Amino acid sequence: MRTKRCENEVWKSNKESDLVTAPAALNAEAPVIEVMGLHKNYDKVKAVNDLTMSVRKGEIYGFLGPNGAGKSTTIKTIMALTHPTSGVIKVHNTPVSTKTVDIHKDIGYLPEKISFYRNLTPVQTLTFLCELKGADPVVVDQLLEDVGLGDVSDRKVGTFSKGMVQLLGVAQAMIGDPSLYILDEPMGGLDARWVRIVRDKIRELNERGATIVFSSHILSEVQMLCDRVGIINKGALVAEDTIDNLSDHLELRPRLEVTITGLDGAVPDGIDAIEGVWNADAEGDKLTVSCDASSRIQVLVALERRGLTIKNFKTLDPTLEDAFVELISDHGGEQ
Amino acid sequence: MIEFGPVHTVLKKEVSDNIRNKWIILLTIIFAFLTLAASVLAGGGSLGGLEETVTTLMSISMILIPLISIMLGYSTISGEDEDGSLAVLLSYPIKRGEVFIGKFLGLGIVIALATAVGFGVSGIVIGLSKSATPWGSYAAFISLSVLLGLLYLSVSMCFSALFKRRVASLGAGILLFFWSTIYGTVLMGIYFATGGSMSDFTSANPTIPDWIWQSIYFSPMDMNQTASMLVFNIERAFGFAIEVPSFVDLASIIGAHLVWIIVPLIIAYLAFERRDI
Repeated sequence: MRTKRCENEVWKSNKESDLVTAPAALNAEAPVIEVMGLHKNYDKVKAVNDLTMSVRKGEIYGFLGPNGAGKSTTIKTIMALTHPTSGVIKVHNTPVSTKTVDIHKDIGYLPEKISFYRNLTPVQTLTFLCELKGADPVVVDQLLEDVGLGDVSDRKVGTFSKGMVQLLGVAQAMIGDPSLYILDEPMGGLDARWVRIVRDKIRELNERGATIVFSSHILSEVQMLCDRVGIINKGALVAEDTIDNLSDHLELRPRLEVTITGLDGAVPDGIDAIEGVWNADAEGDKLTVSCDASSRIQVLVALERRGLTIKNFKTLDPTLEDAFVELISDHGGEQ
Repeated sequence: MIEFGPVHTVLKKEVSDNIRNKWIILLTIIFAFLTLAASVLAGGGSLGGLEETVTTLMSISMILIPLISIMLGYSTISGEDEDGSLAVLLSYPIKRGEVFIGKFLGLGIVIALATAVGFGVSGIVIGLSKSATPWGSYAAFISLSVLLGLLYLSVSMCFSALFKRRVASLGAGILLFFWSTIYGTVLMGIYFATGGSMSDFTSANPTIPDWIWQSIYFSPMDMNQTASMLVFNIERAFGFAIEVPSFVDLASIIGAHLVWIIVPLIIAYLAFERRDI
């Protein structure tokens, strides 16, 4: 897992205190993206319901949520593609509207549902988009090379597979070397090899100083890449923090999984009494102990002392998936 | 404010798209061929004069030009929205008004070029083979045809901005076309139902009531056809003597064309600006 840069908790319920206690070095500048009290209704459906979030300069921000939670709608309002019912969105401190498209010069955007003109080649497509962004089209070949489309540069986009269109989408987002990337499901529809290209690209761009927001429902990708995550459920942000802090807050503990010959579903006596152990469960030959990392060895020693044969053991760190499931389930979502 | 740079980029793309997919060439050839065919038809086997050619040509071009314009325009916004390419385009530093104007001008140039070159080349061939060719009138006829194309382009692009889905804007385009072609029949129906009779048209001294003439401004095809008759001083069409009353003049018809072009563009812009992509 990456080193987490930001250690303070940002919970929806105590945002104000967060703003006060945040380390000055990180929050001295205004957030790159600020969403305040965003509502978006489609007829009677509340797609986004009082969403507040902020993205800081230089971070990779993972925007997570189940399908239909309002991720794309939020992203589209940030891009001024969709009009908010109410609420304010600022990018680089400029309130967003269909009139303030100049801020798009510095944003690379990948829509969730992407398509290009079928009758153009990727070179023609990117050349057209370079012209719109005021970028020199000499970069086109390099951009295609970067996403692995170098050898299909003269084929028509209409003949491309879904994954290739998606990669071309990543390439166009990099036009003009923007300082902010907003990527809606960048790994969606890609096979493993291409997911890797995109993942490496996101890292590389971030290392070169770009701020990156991407939405996803592939939790492992988010866990691997993100500094902070925002979790959205039913149109509202239920949490916004580093993965470590989310785990702490939700009391998600690392677990120790021990395989013991002949355990037969019974938790050995006294294991849950060891200091630092939160919980112990047995299923078949598998004993799962939630405990602090420092207590693991004591648990293993205790098992040995009881004359049990330890066939195998492994430690499991809390995953984003645990946090996610906890938060979007009803009791965990309550703040 | 609308800036020229982004408008020009979109315009250029629309034109080069239609050059690349050979649409513009195909249309030009169709227009040129139709003009020659109309001339041979009017001349009874050999090339007829430009005035007779136009009388025959009009009945086809009045159908064809609107159809082509509707086809080029109906999906510009709704189609690209449905595909997802509009989301990419609008994530660039370009305003919605600039996208719309760029597309209108680009497609307008395609229609104008195909019409002017197609009708023009054939017209020159026909005109040179005759003496006393009314060049000015023919040039005016071409301009009116271009204007008709722009009019239907504007209205169909307005539909593309008003409707969420491509199929809905196509439906509206088809209705518009249908409306245009049956308008005359509907008018005559009303006229005959309110006491008019066919002999009012066929008699030596036809008496077409003023309100029928005044209502042609609601039907682009009819007003465009009337304008073409005015520029050639055509007084008979399809065997009927037609005398256009003085209050229906070229200036008012051209003015009506411009209203038909500008008003849908404004409506389209307002709808597009409000649209959620």
